[in-house]
Amino acid sequence: MTNQLPVLVAALLFPGGAFALALGLALKGADRRFAARLQGRVGPPLVQPFLDIVKLGFKRTMAPDVACSTVFFGAPLAGVASMLLAVTLVPIAGVYAANPASGDLLVLLYLLTVPGVALMLAGSASGSPYGAIGFSREMAMMLAYEGPIVLIVVAAALRVGLATGGAPTFSLAEIVGYQQAHGAFLFDPVMWPAVAAFACFYPANLGVIPFDIPEAETEVLEGPLLEYSGRPLALFKVMSALKAVVVLGLGVALFIPLPFGGAAGFVGWLVEMLALALIGVTAVRVGAGRMRIDQAFVFFLKWPLALAILSVVAAACFSAGGAP
Amino acid sequence: MTLVDKLKDCAARSPWLYRINAGSCNGCDVELATTALVPRYDVERLGCVYCGSPRHADIVLISGPLTVHVLAAAQRVYAEVPDPKVTVAVGVCPISGGIFRESYAVCAPIDRYFPVDVNVPGCPPRPQAIIEGVAKAIAIWRSRL
Repeated sequence: MTNQLPVLVAALLFPGGAFALALGLALKGADRRFAARLQGRVGPPLVQPFLDIVKLGFKRTMAPDVACSTVFFGAPLAGVASMLLAVTLVPIAGVYAANPASGDLLVLLYLLTVPGVALMLAGSASGSPYGAIGFSREMAMMLAYEGPIVLIVVAAALRVGLATGGAPTFSLAEIVGYQQAHGAFLFDPVMWPAVAAFACFYPANLGVIPFDIPEAETEVLEGPLLEYSGRPLALFKVMSALKAVVVLGLGVALFIPLPFGGAAGFVGWLVEMLALALIGVTAVRVGAGRMRIDQAFVFFLKWPLALAILSVVAAACFSAGGAP
Repeated sequence: MTLVDKLKDCAARSPWLYRINAGSCNGCDVELATTALVPRYDVERLGCVYCGSPRHADIVLISGPLTVHVLAAAQRVYAEVPDPKVTVAVGVCPISGGIFRESYAVCAPIDRYFPVDVNVPGCPPRPQAIIEGVAKAIAIWRSRL
């Protein structure tokens, strides 16, 4: 019972826009609270990210004299807009599927790079040397983690495409549908390297420790965000909340879609999102220190890339002609 | 109570802190770091986080006797904090100069240069005193929103 909503509703109400923003901020609140508990603290209330956004709305907006103000104020808008579109492409197994006319997995991959580019533009337009450092680090991180995620997606596409006896399919609906019929990729040994590579990819894409190098507040004073205040900063917070929903939603769709839909499927999806966030983001960021940019770059070109290549090869070898 | 008032109450629960070390001996800064970070004195309960950039700050914590050398830089950083903002002077040095009083190299008391809202005396102040100072600063900040 997969229903397709009009694109505008999907972008502004559900699953994009209001719903994704609320979910993203709630995940962020759960992350902060869980991190505090792991450190033996009480932690902020769960609604803290919402309060932060409201607070930023009351603050004065300042821009540096040397900033290119069109790009400086345009970058957060572009980032939020891209994520509003991207979140409409993320399927919720059995509950929501994207309208194929508005794009699919490949479009989603392109949209996923826009927040990084927006941060790079923001950093370079701010005229701050810390912003410039953040720009170069953000670019290095994107170069490092874009390769693995593309290969992960190719592996999933090959696995589904070859197993169903056709060409590789870049349709999220088909990938989810295959897993609903044959079991989730999380339990498929051929896909385990891809799962491991994705586990490395998503903390980097979400910019948390140990991969928060572009925005390291103790080194480059939050890098690209250094010069932002008030509402533009709130937009960046909104962007990162939406991005969390997109990236975690992509992970759920690629590896652990639930075989049932309806209300139970929706609640199960929420639980899976929360589990991915708490295990893959919070526990990692509390337990690790920040890498240097060169360490992170080499790490991504070594392990996640190797794992992703391995999973592509495995998917190509062990899926061929094996239509079950 | 109007909607705007309710939103302002929400906003007052998210005060972000920024530290300016104006020539402090680091004693107060260690206490500030302890106050926020060590599990026992968790100010994140009040919604506080330390921010790296003065542009994100709501409450400015100034420690130290404000040495002559750091005066211009401190004033410049202070001006970068967007309104509305609240200033908290941490330690006895900003109030009187503390052990550095009557030195040729300090500008204390700092309220000649900064509009101090809350003083937290002590050398260094106890974490509980700093938390009370931050709580008072939050109340002042709410009235300025």
